[in-house]
Amino acid sequence: MNLALLKPGEKGKITKITASGPFKRRLMDMGMLVGELVLVKKVAPLGDPIQVAVKNYNLSLRKKEAAGILVEKID
Amino acid sequence: MSKYTANKNIITVAVAGNPNSGKSTLINAVAGTMLYVGNWPGVTVEKKEAEFEFQGRKIRLVDLPGTYSLSPYTQEEIIARDYLVHKQPDVILAVVDSTNLERNLYLAIQLMELDIPVVVALNVYDELEKKGYRINIRAMENMLGDKLIPTVATQKKGTDKLFKAIIEVADNPAAYRPKQLTYDEDIEDAVKYVEQYIKEKHPLLAEKYPLRWLALKLMEGDRQVMQETRLENEGFLAEGAVNHLRKAHGDDIEAIMADARYAQVTGLAREVLKKPDILKIELTEKIDRVVLNRFLGIPLFLMAMWLVFKLTFDVSMPFVDWADAVITGPFTRWVEVILGFVRVPGWVVSLATDGIIAGVGFVLIFVPVIFAMMFFITFLEGSGYMARAAFVMDRAMHSMGLHGKSFIPMLLGFGCNVPAIYATRTLENPRDKALTALLIPLMSCGARLPVYVLFVGALFPTHSGTVLWSLYMMGILLAVLIGIVFKHTLFRGEAPMFIMELPPYRLPSMRSLTIHTWEKVKHFIVKAGTYILAVSVLVWFLLNMPWGVKHKRDSLLGQAGQMVAPVLAPLGFGNWEAASALITGIIAKEIIIGTMAEIYIEEKKDKEMRTTPTFTEDLKKIGISFAAAVEDSVTNVFSTLKIASISTDNQAESRGLISVIQDTYTPLSAYAFMSFVLLYMPCMVVAIAMKHEFGTWKWFWIAFAYEIILAWTVAFVIYQGGSLLGLGG
Ligand SMILES: Nc1nc2c(ncn2[C@@H]2O[C@H](COP(=O)(O)OP(=O)(O)OP(=O)(O)O)[C@@H](O)[C@H]2O)c(=O)[nH]1
Ligand SMILES: [Mg+2]
Repeated sequence: MNLALLKPGEKGKITKITASGPFKRRLMDMGMLVGELVLVKKVAPLGDPIQVAVKNYNLSLRKKEAAGILVEKID
Repeated sequence: MSKYTANKNIITVAVAGNPNSGKSTLINAVAGTMLYVGNWPGVTVEKKEAEFEFQGRKIRLVDLPGTYSLSPYTQEEIIARDYLVHKQPDVILAVVDSTNLERNLYLAIQLMELDIPVVVALNVYDELEKKGYRINIRAMENMLGDKLIPTVATQKKGTDKLFKAIIEVADNPAAYRPKQLTYDEDIEDAVKYVEQYIKEKHPLLAEKYPLRWLALKLMEGDRQVMQETRLENEGFLAEGAVNHLRKAHGDDIEAIMADARYAQVTGLAREVLKKPDILKIELTEKIDRVVLNRFLGIPLFLMAMWLVFKLTFDVSMPFVDWADAVITGPFTRWVEVILGFVRVPGWVVSLATDGIIAGVGFVLIFVPVIFAMMFFITFLEGSGYMARAAFVMDRAMHSMGLHGKSFIPMLLGFGCNVPAIYATRTLENPRDKALTALLIPLMSCGARLPVYVLFVGALFPTHSGTVLWSLYMMGILLAVLIGIVFKHTLFRGEAPMFIMELPPYRLPSMRSLTIHTWEKVKHFIVKAGTYILAVSVLVWFLLNMPWGVKHKRDSLLGQAGQMVAPVLAPLGFGNWEAASALITGIIAKEIIIGTMAEIYIEEKKDKEMRTTPTFTEDLKKIGISFAAAVEDSVTNVFSTLKIASISTDNQAESRGLISVIQDTYTPLSAYAFMSFVLLYMPCMVVAIAMKHEFGTWKWFWIAFAYEIILAWTVAFVIYQGGSLLGLGG
């Protein structure tokens, strides 16, 4: 399961970040860490990117990148 | 030692923090500056300084671009990092958005590793309280060892306390060394090992950098620090305690450190932050449900834009009429009278009235339009919508190999292209920056607006909003098309990653709206007073050279216009007047209006019946007509909101330039002309900004070349296509 597959309203817990390099660093700096809870809030009108809530704020990223963030779905 | 000598003359305070935490707002509040602020991450892209006095002490504030960590990702973040590491300010003021405590403290604790005293402003405290959150400040101070002061930068609350604390800390830095937060034992061992190595092998580096910070960055493998220190090829990062760390936790020390830091701040936040049991659904959520709605999102954006243009036009038009009447009527008469009184030669009177007043005056007439437009843009900037626009447009931008963030500089381009060019700094890679900068000139800036308003007012009075809107949309659509072309030619390569914070919506205060609108309008007025003035004088001479020329058509400028006119003929405006105006508009597009005014002034004068009212009569008339303008403007707003289109009644006789334009252009050729003005080239100041930002003229020349071709083609298609369809009229 990865973040891009969650639907709006669904929550996941990050299990692994497969991105690498500066982009991974940026994700981590913004609080996307293993063990963190992420709530998917919205999909943009044209289908991409998505908006998620992490550490109590809103972040947007593309589905392609979100696919590199593995999650475990939580109910 | 007396206290006086112990105190520093001037205290340098670096203002650092996450993007959008309120750094620039705070500086504006205390130092009375007018730094650029806006409600999206990445407003400040350059280091800016401000000095002010507080309780008899001089304080220099350095506004830094916001960063998420001290491992920079974008160009403006590098600026902030370099300053903090190499410039040794006396105090670092860490501005923390207290509603977003964890992510902001994550940076704050890294700032504390720089070995410079840190004072923390817990900013946006008003929103924190509104959410019902509570922070135990004493506990937090004890844990961090820094002074912490709650502030509300927008209301200037808490700033006195804040700067008292800063002075106290600056006067006694030894007592306020930031606490070193300790990591797990194996991390600390590795840090010590690296510190030791640097001290022994590279004592110079140990002086140049805060040692602990350097050791941490080297362990994390920070690319820039590696390059700066040239330590890449020394094997110590794979040996000793660093190697143990790798063995115990895996190779990715960067991730280990990020985890360790977040673990610290999460623990801290858990201790000090109290949230209410039931969280309210916030306004931001509600607005986003509509604005980012799958079906409504884009139509709403387009409608909002239409409304902005309609309102801009309707609100400002009565004032434009009024200013037009005043400047061409009484004002010109007074200048003539005064100049006649001091007995200057006739040509000087003509230079003053037909040259300067017509040229500059006609540009200044449009200040109300510019003001209205800038007001809306400033409102958008402060509302939090910019980041949403980037979010909504990302998919479309992706098709040209850009990402949504590029849309922000483009939207800013609607105000003025120049700051928009600089705003490309927030984009991560050089390829995106250059491509975005190339497209920005297609965004119709405030200086082009006077041209449209004049032509729309003359030929499309009943569809003003729609016609204006269509021109701006044309700019956006062509930007997408050209972007796609560039993507497949000049700018091949991977589409960049997109990751962006979406701030909460905020209602900008009337005060900040006025200040920042005025900042933008001021630029326009200053421009009118400087080089538009210079160009008007030049144009007057070119229209009167060879000296004493009878017809303006035969003047130097007229001849140049006649030479260019045939090229423009297939576009529907092959007259020398339009050609001459377009030539002078290369400097700045509002000059087009000024030049037209200078050219047509003669004809207008002949038409006007010349009675000379007295000075007091003039004043009375100006006052009465202004009151009428206010009334018209207000009624227009209401009728716009009812979406009823009203036609501003044309008193053709008082509006000279407008009636000439009505005689010379058809709606079709006017539309072709406006499209041409929209597209035909970046103005001089944009050219200079491009050179400044990229260090080469290359991008300007590319923009110049594609725009002129595009402008001609588009105007040709509009005029010829329209004629074929029988719209020529
Ligand atoms: N409610 C509230 N809003 C604030 C406060 N301080 C700043 N803001 C708003 O936050 C937004 C960002 O302010 P800026 O001063 O531009 O932020 P910055 O830290 O300079 O941001 P960058 O230049 O992007 O790094 C603006 O919309 C401000 O009006 C505050 O104390 N309370
Ligand atoms: Mg700023």
